[in-house]
Amino acid sequence: MSLPAIAVRNLVKTFGDTTVLHGIDLEIPQGQVSCLIGPSGSGKSTLLRCMAFLEEATSGTISVNGEVLGFTETAQGVRERISASANRAIRAQIGMVFQQFNLWPHMTALGNVSEALKMVQKMSRKQAEELAMAQLVKVGLESRAGHYPSQLSGGQQQRVAIARALAMKPKIMLFDEPTSSLDPELTGEVLNVMRDLAAEGMTMVVVSHEIGFAATVGQNITFLDHGKVQFSGPPQEVFKKPRNPRLEQFLDTYLDRGASMLL
Amino acid sequence: MSLKLFELLLQASIYTVTISVVSILIGFSIAIMLSGMLLSKTPIFVLPAQIFISFFRGVPLLVQLLLIYNLLPAIGLNVPSIVAAIAGMSLCTAAYQAENLRGGFASVPVGLIESAEMVGLTPDQIFRRIKAPIALRLTFPALVNEAILILKASSLVSVVGIIELTRMAQDLAGSTFLPLQIFAAAGLIYLVINWIVALAGGLIERSLPGVPR
Amino acid sequence: MTFDINVILDQMPQIISGAGVTLLTWIVGTICAVIIGFFVAVGRRFGGMLLDNVLGFAVAILRGTPFLIQIFLVYYGGPFIGLSLDPIPAGLIGISIYGAAYYSEIFRSGFLAVPKGHIEAGECVGMTQGQIIRRILLPEMTMLVLPPSLNMAVLLMKETAVLSIITVPELTATLSAIGAQQYAFVEALSVLALFYWVLVEITGRLGHFVETKLTRFRFFNA
Repeated sequence: MSLPAIAVRNLVKTFGDTTVLHGIDLEIPQGQVSCLIGPSGSGKSTLLRCMAFLEEATSGTISVNGEVLGFTETAQGVRERISASANRAIRAQIGMVFQQFNLWPHMTALGNVSEALKMVQKMSRKQAEELAMAQLVKVGLESRAGHYPSQLSGGQQQRVAIARALAMKPKIMLFDEPTSSLDPELTGEVLNVMRDLAAEGMTMVVVSHEIGFAATVGQNITFLDHGKVQFSGPPQEVFKKPRNPRLEQFLDTYLDRGASMLL
Repeated sequence: MSLKLFELLLQASIYTVTISVVSILIGFSIAIMLSGMLLSKTPIFVLPAQIFISFFRGVPLLVQLLLIYNLLPAIGLNVPSIVAAIAGMSLCTAAYQAENLRGGFASVPVGLIESAEMVGLTPDQIFRRIKAPIALRLTFPALVNEAILILKASSLVSVVGIIELTRMAQDLAGSTFLPLQIFAAAGLIYLVINWIVALAGGLIERSLPGVPR
Repeated sequence: MTFDINVILDQMPQIISGAGVTLLTWIVGTICAVIIGFFVAVGRRFGGMLLDNVLGFAVAILRGTPFLIQIFLVYYGGPFIGLSLDPIPAGLIGISIYGAAYYSEIFRSGFLAVPKGHIEAGECVGMTQGQIIRRILLPEMTMLVLPPSLNMAVLLMKETAVLSIITVPELTATLSAIGAQQYAFVEALSVLALFYWVLVEITGRLGHFVETKLTRFRFFNA
């Protein structure tokens, strides 16, 4: 059995007095599309951001392809910070797509996608732009390469953001509510790109309210509520009746978002 | 009011513009240094910068000019009054511009930094390629505003003996007994200069990609 | 270089008088500026297009020209239109009008910043225009304009120093005179700078404190 892409062990995260994550244990196998669903405040985005080390966990460990990210922790709970450069190397295996796209406004689409290739992989501008262009073709936006983010629609911006993350050839892609900021008619173009990515075998962890996507593309659904994993399994098991009562409650509010197809 | 008088006012306004431009440029350089000190987070740099900014924003420009004009000879530096004037204005605008820059840096959306981290940029690269360019764009309107404020504030260097627009207006008003016309004309010249600066600022802002509208 | 502060402090009565004039012109001037500025803002908002343009023009001139020029116009130009003023009244008028222009802009932004939806909500439950203005528009506006208003007050305090140029006996004029008499410019000006610095810092902290107290009312992201 190969190493899990991401292994989360006993992850606890507190913000001041509030505990958001109460000891999460989770494994993401290689090549799996894993969806984190749950009500607002359940901690799913926090969990994802901990996996990316954008939030520092209070205790517990996160391992990416066997290497511990952020902090090592002994059995006695002694935590030691990993060096910034080591962290950067581990993080290089992860690509992240944000709810707010986070494209850099002073660079064109091509500039956004090629920036890391130039700065991190030290490619020449020509080489970087060639590779970046290939990524833009992949998400269907080669005609917009010279446009600035302010000139792109939300769906286009998000697709550029995906291309930017993919340009660095990550082994794992994290998606933090990628379509939540989009008008309904624009979500489709982004979900299609994600569908194609999944079909190519990319390991993906997706936090999303798009239950339909989770049910059809997801290979494992993890339902989070109040900072704990309530249920985790393949879509057929998670969505079949009789359901976990909390999950039932949660799905009731999402029936018109595509979960009805599962009934 | 005769054309000759207006000509004299215009000539004096060249001093106004020159002193202002020089002060703004020197002030901006100092402001960048101050911002660097503030961002460094090490107390030995942050504290002096904070004190500097607090002092030069808290004390009226007129008092600053008088202080420098009288202080420099007292410590043995006998400089021409125009140097004292520019020094005073530069230090004052540096404090305000540093404050503006600080605001600009604070307004850079965190997400833009996070996405840079995720794609592998080092902190130094993030600062150079993402944070600083965006902060400058966010600060730009405030900097244009500050330029206009400096142009108006330059009227105060008349007290340290520089014959710029306001001083010329004072002299002419005194000798021609036509204060209403002279000061109104001077006011008009200031208005036109400020209007041009605002216009230029707006044009530059529109041509810069990535300035939030 | 010797630094003898006592030479200055011996003139305390004069200094206090000067400080008093500074505070007087500042506080009275600011209050007048706020009142005039408020009415200008109201006039521009509710008084029709002609009034808006005329007042807007005046505001643009007052904000686009140096305060010193405006003061000179009032003090030296005033007599030519029948307005022969002493320095202090001239200074007060100068501060009031200059400040009013800036306050009118602050209040105008305040009017515009109250979300239209809040006004519409009031209309939908049947409130009259008067009630909406009294119970919704003005209270919300006050929260929004308080920080810039305090800022502006501090700016006006610093501008009072300029009044020394038209011989208003405020603190800058007083300490400059003492400095000249005692041949102790550096000491005098240091005391002067310190006075303003402390006053500005205190007012700034106070304003910040007031601002933080108000943030609990801001549930919409203004």
